[in-house]
Amino acid sequence: MKKITKSLALGVAALSVAASGAFAGEWPERPVTIIAAAGAGGGTDGVARILANHLKERLGQQFNVVNQGQAGGVVGITNMANAEPDGYTIGLIYNFAHYKLLGQADFDYKSFRPIAQVNFDPAAFQVANGSDWQDMRQALDAIKADPGAYSIGCGGGCGGSWPIAVATLLDQWKVDLSKVNMVPGKGAAAAMQDMVAGGFDAVPCSLPEAEALIDAGEARSLAVFKPERLAKYPDVPTLKEATGLDLELGAWRGIVAPAGLPDEIATKLEAALDEIAHDPKWIEEMNSRGFGIRWRNSAEFTAFVKQHTDEVAAVLPALGLN
Amino acid sequence: MDVIFAALGLLWDPTVIGIMLACAVYGLAVGSIPGLSASMAVALLVPMTFFIDAVPALAGIVTLAAMAIFAGDLPGAFLRIPGTPASAAYADEAYKMSLQGKGERALGIGLVCSAIGGVFGALVLLFAAPSLAKIALKFSTFEYFWLACMGLSAAVVVSHGNMAKGMLSLFLGLFIAMIGIDPMSGQIRYTFGNSALIGGLGFIPVLIGFFALSEVMRFAALRVRPTHSASTVGNVFSGLGQDVIRLRYGILRGCGLGTIIGAIPGAGADIASYISYAAQKKLSKNPEKFGTGIVDGIGPASAANNSAVGGAFVPATVFGIPGDSLSAIIIGVLYMKGLNPGPTVFLRQPELITAVFLAFLIANIMLVPFGFAAIKMFKQVLRVPRTLLMPSILAFCIVGAFAVENAVFAVTTMLIVGVLGYLMEENGYPIAPAILGLVLGPMLEENFLSSMMKAHGDFAAFFERPLAAGIAAVTIILWLYPVLSWGFANLKAHRNKALS
Repeated sequence: MKKITKSLALGVAALSVAASGAFAGEWPERPVTIIAAAGAGGGTDGVARILANHLKERLGQQFNVVNQGQAGGVVGITNMANAEPDGYTIGLIYNFAHYKLLGQADFDYKSFRPIAQVNFDPAAFQVANGSDWQDMRQALDAIKADPGAYSIGCGGGCGGSWPIAVATLLDQWKVDLSKVNMVPGKGAAAAMQDMVAGGFDAVPCSLPEAEALIDAGEARSLAVFKPERLAKYPDVPTLKEATGLDLELGAWRGIVAPAGLPDEIATKLEAALDEIAHDPKWIEEMNSRGFGIRWRNSAEFTAFVKQHTDEVAAVLPALGLN
Repeated sequence: MDVIFAALGLLWDPTVIGIMLACAVYGLAVGSIPGLSASMAVALLVPMTFFIDAVPALAGIVTLAAMAIFAGDLPGAFLRIPGTPASAAYADEAYKMSLQGKGERALGIGLVCSAIGGVFGALVLLFAAPSLAKIALKFSTFEYFWLACMGLSAAVVVSHGNMAKGMLSLFLGLFIAMIGIDPMSGQIRYTFGNSALIGGLGFIPVLIGFFALSEVMRFAALRVRPTHSASTVGNVFSGLGQDVIRLRYGILRGCGLGTIIGAIPGAGADIASYISYAAQKKLSKNPEKFGTGIVDGIGPASAANNSAVGGAFVPATVFGIPGDSLSAIIIGVLYMKGLNPGPTVFLRQPELITAVFLAFLIANIMLVPFGFAAIKMFKQVLRVPRTLLMPSILAFCIVGAFAVENAVFAVTTMLIVGVLGYLMEENGYPIAPAILGLVLGPMLEENFLSSMMKAHGDFAAFFERPLAAGIAAVTIILWLYPVLSWGFANLKAHRNKALS
């Protein structure tokens, strides 16, 4: 009963926080909301909750994770952009550029003040165990020869991190993207299952997401989209080893605030995140859940989100999505 | 066997037992409050699992899940407000019974069947998880499409007679499910430029509106307020044995259906209980009595929704594929605790994963005494005058709708749908088909479109895969059955006439 009371209190607190815009003294003097634009239990939620604990330890205030995963994250990210830039609403953002390009949202990289990137997970290219494709080069050549003959599962929407990674790769391999049959769905786990059931020829997603079915001998991973192999999956070759292309593609997560956040708050938050990102405890917690570590400070992250927007803008039209 | 004893040893620990007991109480409380769902309760626990070991953390979560699904029956039977979506299929049945002064029989059978279903699911999980999990790997979008079609047919059964009104209600549910971003093309539909509608109407707020708010309004509109039947709730266990024995096949069917439907990712406890209810009514000798308040409508469906929880853990632990939102959260916790789901967890840490399954088994046995106590407690709640109880339910509706979506818009949704639900009920439109449409609409649409994209628009692909063709055949026979049986009867009469 106590926990329910607590959850109710949280709900009420969130309401009152939203209602009052008061700001004085040194930030943070009351609890901070971290919007996770994803449902409870998934990867983004997990990273946000680990991060919230560390931020609370360092900044001495409660950091509450609020899940807003409606419309594939559009709702939560929109709220990150539109919140009062007072430091009491921040967000854990991920690959977002496709939403605006697809006409689903108004925000772009200028809507945010990027604070720091904390995570990067490379995409990997999975096929069912019974597939004819033994290596990445063979798969790419087959798709190039007859792009319409194969179905690739996007996981979520086809503008998301994993399909954009594989589309960028196919584009570099000079495949006619407009003919490639990319099919959206309900997430990487569902797409992997569908692939094993014979519904897809390939599914791009992260290795931790594919691990269980690979261990079961039902699926294989042909390449990981990163310059070096992952310590946890030493048998999966890198894209460079498999194809000669030197690319780093995948999903990333970082903390942003609404544009217009005062500099002193941004600096303080960045400094706290810097400490966290280099804390062995954080690294261990992230690794134990299979999340990769990648630190980019505010300046690097700001440049990165712009670069991300340009990259997505380059492949989306070719996929015929916008 | 050694593994089972080692696993029992892990559970025989004061911390584990303490956490399981606490989670049992928590699960019963959350499940019985309309508007607070089991997945929300589990999600709130997740941050706490950082600080405790794998076995107590997971044992606590599975206990909570088992309790919450049963507890959803309590407000369903007494207030006609299902506590969780999984109880929606038979809430009306149980409420009618409690109006007739048979509330204890309704809850007694619900409790025992929940426990039987849960134990069945847990045993399957313990002994057959890896082989059952293979079922999940046979289902592509083509099979899901037919499964959704078959599920929609249950709408006919839960409409109780008035087919046309049931159909309208079903279509309303399907329509509500279409609002927001189209999952396939990304097109924005029926939002009329309102950005709050982009994410669609949240399932839980709609459910709270349809069931809880409409009930509060119905009460407020009554001129003569009923004195409640709570005082007549007597012995929960009287006559129970006979009911269970009489319904044994139905209950067993419910267990089987629940476990399998639960094990198919994307379907879950709510669909399982609808289908089990429908199957029981179809195969019953007196289907006309369903919907008037009989235990036949409750037992099998109750067994199905609890066994579905065990079923959903099957693909979750063996392949890391979440069956529903609850198992998705559990997968997250498994990762966090280094018990990465996959076949290797059964090889590398068999006693840990067995301990979790055993905890689920024990939780379902614990359900009987705990559920019994919860029924007694809930009766006390009903002593509160309804003029006080109904406003507090309204408060829970508002908080619950807000908390699940973290958006004020969810409260608006809940209020509007509540008024709609009230108007529907007053005019004889059943709510249950609308909920079915809401649950199955996205499944039907996404899988249809995805299949068509894979097949480059060739509809024949829906019959090409053997399993898809099999489910399609069953579904189509189900649809044509009334026509066929009428045709056969006519033919027979004709022939008899000719012969005589």
